[in-house]
Amino acid sequence: MGFKRFDPEDFVVSADTVTSTVWSGFQPSLNSYFTSSVQKEGTSGPYYLNVFQTGSGVQGSEIQFAIAFGDETGRGSVDFDTAVPGVSPSRTIYGQYRTLVLEDENADFPFGINFTGSYFYALNVERARYKEKLFPGSMNLVISSSNPQINSITLTDNSNEVTLPEYFGTMRAYQVISGSDGTAWNGNGYSFSGSYGLFLPDISTILLNGAALDDSSTPGTSGLNDGCGIGLGTVLTSNTNGDNNSKLFRHISASSGNTNGKIFELNSQETITSDFVFVRTRNSEFNYSENPSFISGSTGEVIFNYFINNPQTFPTCVGMYNDANELLAAAKLSRPISKDFTKEALIRVKLDF
Amino acid sequence: MGYLNNSVITVDAILTKKGRELLAKNDGSFRITQFALADDEIDYTLYNPTHPSGSAYYGEAIENMPLLEAFPDEQQMMKYKLVTLPRGTAKLPVLDLGYASINMKQGAQLAITPQTLNYLGAQQTFESSGYSATVGDVRLFSQFQGQGINTTAAATANATATQTIGTNISATVTGTQINLTATTVNTLFGSQTQLRTTLTVIGLDSGARLTIPVTITQNRLT
Repeated sequence: MGFKRFDPEDFVVSADTVTSTVWSGFQPSLNSYFTSSVQKEGTSGPYYLNVFQTGSGVQGSEIQFAIAFGDETGRGSVDFDTAVPGVSPSRTIYGQYRTLVLEDENADFPFGINFTGSYFYALNVERARYKEKLFPGSMNLVISSSNPQINSITLTDNSNEVTLPEYFGTMRAYQVISGSDGTAWNGNGYSFSGSYGLFLPDISTILLNGAALDDSSTPGTSGLNDGCGIGLGTVLTSNTNGDNNSKLFRHISASSGNTNGKIFELNSQETITSDFVFVRTRNSEFNYSENPSFISGSTGEVIFNYFINNPQTFPTCVGMYNDANELLAAAKLSRPISKDFTKEALIRVKLDF
Repeated sequence: MGYLNNSVITVDAILTKKGRELLAKNDGSFRITQFALADDEIDYTLYNPTHPSGSAYYGEAIENMPLLEAFPDEQQMMKYKLVTLPRGTAKLPVLDLGYASINMKQGAQLAITPQTLNYLGAQQTFESSGYSATVGDVRLFSQFQGQGINTTAAATANATATQTIGTNISATVTGTQINLTATTVNTLFGSQTQLRTTLTVIGLDSGARLTIPVTITQNRLT
């Protein structure tokens, strides 16, 4: 008999989580930033700005993330039609994320406690950079400052500060705070204008609170909410091209990073479901082989007389079949294992989907 | 006193081309129910039952050999299966198809009735579970059927035998008799006058395996 049926207990389903950096080349930190003038001046330019790790014309250049500016009343960008004031790309972006995240066209973005934002910057990680979602606690973004009070600010999510994330519908959300590795520097890490944004791992998006970034006050004057902004200077004039995407881009690209020179650290997370199949062979099984070198001639005699009472086989592969004897999956061992009437083998086969 | 080695060998499996095909069909045919072991790549002439250092070294040359990674083509994997036979077996089961190779013309029919030699003490016998036959490229046959086995598994296998819309894929049927009808489709030949594939037959009880070449010759228009 060449086939042996599995027992139900031979199958175990397991789900494991793996994490990886999101940036090209498996770099843990994105430290160089480029844009494409072609994209910026194209039809998508008013909506978002793609950010590359090298010059956009260089071989191997890949989009890392995009920056988009959204405003509730369409400020900071030019109206589509002067006869319809306030309907502009920034309002489109705002409505897009409001529908996606808040699932309510009348809701406002809750940045922290008792503060709702009317404008934000969205950092949207390129789809090709991750497989499933972002990994909470891995974000460290150092943004340079125009606020003379500070040189830069380091933003992270507050996943280590809370026991449970907030939920918008079925979507997890963490507040973006001043701190690193998911932990606040001080207090809750909020700014004077609520949190610094929302970290949305399930849609791989970071919304930065525009009001918090625009703040230019002195840090440490307001108890727990002692974080100031970077004086970003968002243009909030109606029917005006404020080029706000580029403003944030310049503050990120001009950053000198943390003490190790790292500017933007971010990891992704993926759940891999595996089938573990246990292949059990008893001592009396699989001790002869149909290998042509196991027999001599065409009549089937074993190659060595020694094999008549002491057959020895060396399995190298495990094949898994359906009832129709079709080979569905196969695994190779790293080296042959010895099998005879005095040995049993237990092989755990991992099948990923 | 030392520690016994209680480790479990863990290996990663890959889906074969057939596995991916059945997974894509999503009709329940991708259901692993049984396994087999094989010793592809092993050359038993390297086994040395007269090794001067003793029996612990008989398989030395084989046990340390590096192995290749798995191939996704199911025709190239699990070629030489290990079989379970009573201790003291001096002769291994061998298949006899009655043909060393198959040569057919377009549209020709052929029935193959495999037999097994040296199995269960019989010099020549038909296996009660039947035989599984796999053709490497199902496009070469307009009919590829197994008959003579009435189990549910065999009926399912034969009823859902792979259909193709032009891709080179294998097909497996089960039976005591395998019926073949060579294709009449001229476009498959292109500028060639012959098409070639392989037919692999496996005894489901004995595990004996035999692969023979198949050639289909085009009927030339004069």
